[in-house]
Amino acid sequence: MTDAIVLAVVVPIFGAMLSMIAGLRFDRSGWTVAALTCLAQLGTALAILYTVVQDGTQRYELAGFTPPEGIELVADGLSAPVIVLVATVSLAVVVYARQAGPRGNAFYTLYLLLVGGLAGVTLTGDIFNMYVFLEITGLAAYALVASGDSTESAVAGLKYLILGTIGASLFLLGAGYAYIATGTLNMVDLSEQLAAAGYGSRLVLGAFGLLVTGLLVKVALFPVHTWQPGAYSNAPDSVSVYISALVSTVAAYAVARVLYTVFTPEFFTANPIAQTALVYAAAVSIIAGSVLAVLQRDLKRMLAYSSVSQFGMVVAGFALLSQSAAVGGVIHLIGHAVLKGGLFAAVGVVAAQTGARSIDEYAGLASRAPLSAGLVAVLGLSLVGVPPSVGFVGKFYIAVGAVETGTWPIAAVIFASTVLTLAYFARIIERMYFAQPAVEPSSDGAVAVDVGDGVSADGGEEIHSSAGASPEMVAVVVVAAVAAVTLGFAGSAIESFLEPTLVEVFG
Amino acid sequence: MSSLGLVPPGLVVIAVALLLPLLSRRVGHALGLAATLGVLGWAAVIPTGDYLDVQFLGFDAILFSVDDFSRLMALIFAFIGAIGVIYSYATDAENKQTAFALGYVGTSIGAAFAGDWLSFVFFVELMGVASTLLVWHYGGEAVRAGFRYALWHGLGGSLILAGIVWHYVEAGTFIMETGAGITPGVPAALYALGFGVNVGYVGFHVWLPDTYPRPHIAASVFLCVYTTKTGVYGLYRGFPDGHLWLAYMGGAMAVFGAFSALLQNDMRRLLSYHIQSQVGYMVAGVGVGTALATSGAFAHVFNHILYKSLLFMCAGAIIYRTNTSSLKKLGGLWREMPLTGVVFGIAALSIAGFPGFNGFVSKGMVVNAAHKEHLDALWYILLLGGVGTFMSFIKFGYYAFFHGEAQQTVSGPGLNLGQKTAMVSVAALCVIYGLYPDALFSILPGGGASEAHPFTVSHIAEGLILAALGLIGFAILKKPLSKVGRVPDIDAVYNRVAFYGTRSVVVGVTELYAAVDRLAVRAADTAMWAARNPAASVERVTPIRIANEARANGSGRPALQADIGQSTMIMIGVLVVGLLVLFLFV
Repeated sequence: MTDAIVLAVVVPIFGAMLSMIAGLRFDRSGWTVAALTCLAQLGTALAILYTVVQDGTQRYELAGFTPPEGIELVADGLSAPVIVLVATVSLAVVVYARQAGPRGNAFYTLYLLLVGGLAGVTLTGDIFNMYVFLEITGLAAYALVASGDSTESAVAGLKYLILGTIGASLFLLGAGYAYIATGTLNMVDLSEQLAAAGYGSRLVLGAFGLLVTGLLVKVALFPVHTWQPGAYSNAPDSVSVYISALVSTVAAYAVARVLYTVFTPEFFTANPIAQTALVYAAAVSIIAGSVLAVLQRDLKRMLAYSSVSQFGMVVAGFALLSQSAAVGGVIHLIGHAVLKGGLFAAVGVVAAQTGARSIDEYAGLASRAPLSAGLVAVLGLSLVGVPPSVGFVGKFYIAVGAVETGTWPIAAVIFASTVLTLAYFARIIERMYFAQPAVEPSSDGAVAVDVGDGVSADGGEEIHSSAGASPEMVAVVVVAAVAAVTLGFAGSAIESFLEPTLVEVFG
Repeated sequence: MSSLGLVPPGLVVIAVALLLPLLSRRVGHALGLAATLGVLGWAAVIPTGDYLDVQFLGFDAILFSVDDFSRLMALIFAFIGAIGVIYSYATDAENKQTAFALGYVGTSIGAAFAGDWLSFVFFVELMGVASTLLVWHYGGEAVRAGFRYALWHGLGGSLILAGIVWHYVEAGTFIMETGAGITPGVPAALYALGFGVNVGYVGFHVWLPDTYPRPHIAASVFLCVYTTKTGVYGLYRGFPDGHLWLAYMGGAMAVFGAFSALLQNDMRRLLSYHIQSQVGYMVAGVGVGTALATSGAFAHVFNHILYKSLLFMCAGAIIYRTNTSSLKKLGGLWREMPLTGVVFGIAALSIAGFPGFNGFVSKGMVVNAAHKEHLDALWYILLLGGVGTFMSFIKFGYYAFFHGEAQQTVSGPGLNLGQKTAMVSVAALCVIYGLYPDALFSILPGGGASEAHPFTVSHIAEGLILAALGLIGFAILKKPLSKVGRVPDIDAVYNRVAFYGTRSVVVGVTELYAAVDRLAVRAADTAMWAARNPAASVERVTPIRIANEARANGSGRPALQADIGQSTMIMIGVLVVGLLVLFLFV
């Protein structure tokens, strides 16, 4: 079943082309093509997961060239859950976007391209190939962000484009240095050649600094997060859901890949300062992201800053270089994707139902839209880390790792971040459940018109997001909320699934 | 075990006490009298060594175990119980009060016969409960005093219990081994401190003059007998071989009590201090610990119960007839109440230890034992206590019966037959035991009776000299003493400390809670406000003027976003810093 690995990448890319071609003939074929493609991709992803569970790590040599010269795709314990996540979220967002928009074949073409890029980053075993897929991902994402109806979307898209490209360039530079030092681009081969080149070599250190900095821009860690809040908050709701759930997630996965597979823990044993710097940069991001989130009034912006904080947590989990923390990092990576995607979807649903987008407008939401308010509360509390949700499990493993490695400041920061996360979600819950509506329904309606009016897609066609959320939009959020809780019980299953791969990494 | 040992006598008295409120006054008191006299007879005939063992709270317990000590205690307890019932009946005490008193008597008898530490402390605690109820029953000022009394005895009982439990841990049994006493060390210290409340160590004595003057006159008769004497008995059981500290504490009590009494004007308060003083002799006797001293201590218990209850009955009789308890307002009663005067004289000479009266015999034994042991300091202290006793009773007698010309018109009814019977019979015993001490010696435990020779010239001279010193002392101090008002005892400090201490704890806890509450509410309010007004809260703690900026750009939102150029700069800065760190520190 190793063919599934390549199919997982190729299917969405072909889907994108198909969507474009079909769009020449049919006006409304985009959604159908996207849905079918995502369904097919989910099938391949599940096949990959099944194979990895059954037979362990799978490798696929592209075009018959043998690594290290040839490019290979790898599915192991780390990439298999991420590809399943990508496929699942992709399908869910397609379902969500049917009603929420944007509509049109151009959107779905870009969307499927993005799916393919993410799948490629996830599965590639080659560092230059990873850069290529990162760029595919980025370009599709810039365009999708800019597909919003307002000028702010365009500005945010431009900012994302420039900063994302610089970040990718840094990554490319890093890959170049690594190539100069070792003469190889295959990840597994790199790990051996880098050790041979000497971990203290300036070339190797420079490669590390550039690769990691470039990826952290993509992950949007503080203070290189500046593109992210604008991109998340000004993109159309469906795009927000998707990029918040997956784009930074896959970038963070790439960080883990680079740390574990390319540089390996031995690099950090030789250069402890590299680990320390990374861990504390992540810690700063946890705190700063939370504080910035507390300062926001717009729901989507607040959720965006929350991601800055949560990805600090994930990167800290990876950088602690302990098996528990790594497990926690993966669980939190997946959990955060579900939670944050679900929250953005819920925000979209609420906006469609009531027009409320700011925290003040959420006042009294529980009586106007009880189901949506309840879903926001469940997802928010999960992100805070209330047991038994997945948010709790991830943080717990990371905290355990911090304690195991004796990194007490990180353990303290994780605890503090829980309180800070509570600070910004408690505020929303208080508004929803304990406050009277501050604005009249009529002005709500005006806001709703504002938002829903004239969504401008690429082709300039006018698409109105309807007044009201469709059942499938709500269903997507419900699934996310249910997953937030049920995944909490899957913590030990994920751990045992990851164990062979992590044992390989940590020895 | 003889057939007499089937029923513990204390429980019989308690059963009668429970029955008493249901009966008429006459029948009830008759039954009470019968019960106490029955116990008297029972105690006289039950063979030594008889015992009744049961399971109590899951431990082996001996509800009664007869030896010479417990027999003596039971005899005098039962006898005074009977006298007290008669006196209660004669002074219009309610059935309920007598019931409490009989409960007190019954538990005391139970304590005297207890053959194991657990049932002993159990009965001692019950005595505290019963006596508190007896005090409370009178109402009025007695209620608060009773409350303080209960607190003191709760404290004392807890200490005793702690000592006994510790003793159990060390010894492995609650059974009182003959002559073994309590385990030395911490258990003994706890035990001695606990009974220190009962016997009224100096400093622990304040409940005595606080409580005993306040309730009904008949209640005082009961109260002056049981608690302190049980304390002496308990100390003997705990320290059968004595302890020097106990001896000196006894001496201190004797002197402190006697001279504190000298300063009092309330009759029963004066008598209460004398309880402390006289119990001091007993504690000293137990503390010296020789055969003579121990026998003397128990002889003094026996004699003291007689004359002290007699004194309380005299004081009660005066209050009964005059409704006055202050010596300052009394005088010239000799003509109005000659019988009470005579009886009081007998009792006063007994307590003071004048030759020919019972106090002389037993006090002499203790003093003599101290002398024989060459505890000279203690000997002088005890003699000094004797002088103080003489002085204070000369004062009592002088102001009550002689001073002035019947200042107080006697309003109350004359003494009735019951009162007279009770007083005269006890007075007669005081004289009989004073003149024929062998009657007491025959039942005296401790084996020291044979060493007692009360009527030697030196002893008689000693008694007379003390009396003369007392007279002279009173003559000298009469003037200044007459100017003394109510002298505060150390309980003035205790009560204030306890009151303000408790109040400050309560106020402190309340205020602390309120402060924490305020702080928490304020913190929550601040957090809520800061969350709702992030820009303004940033302005509060930093010089940054976000709100203006936010107002200026019209979004109401802090303009924290970096533009593309700034972002690029930041990114490059991060990269440079990262690379520098890697290059410089590796």
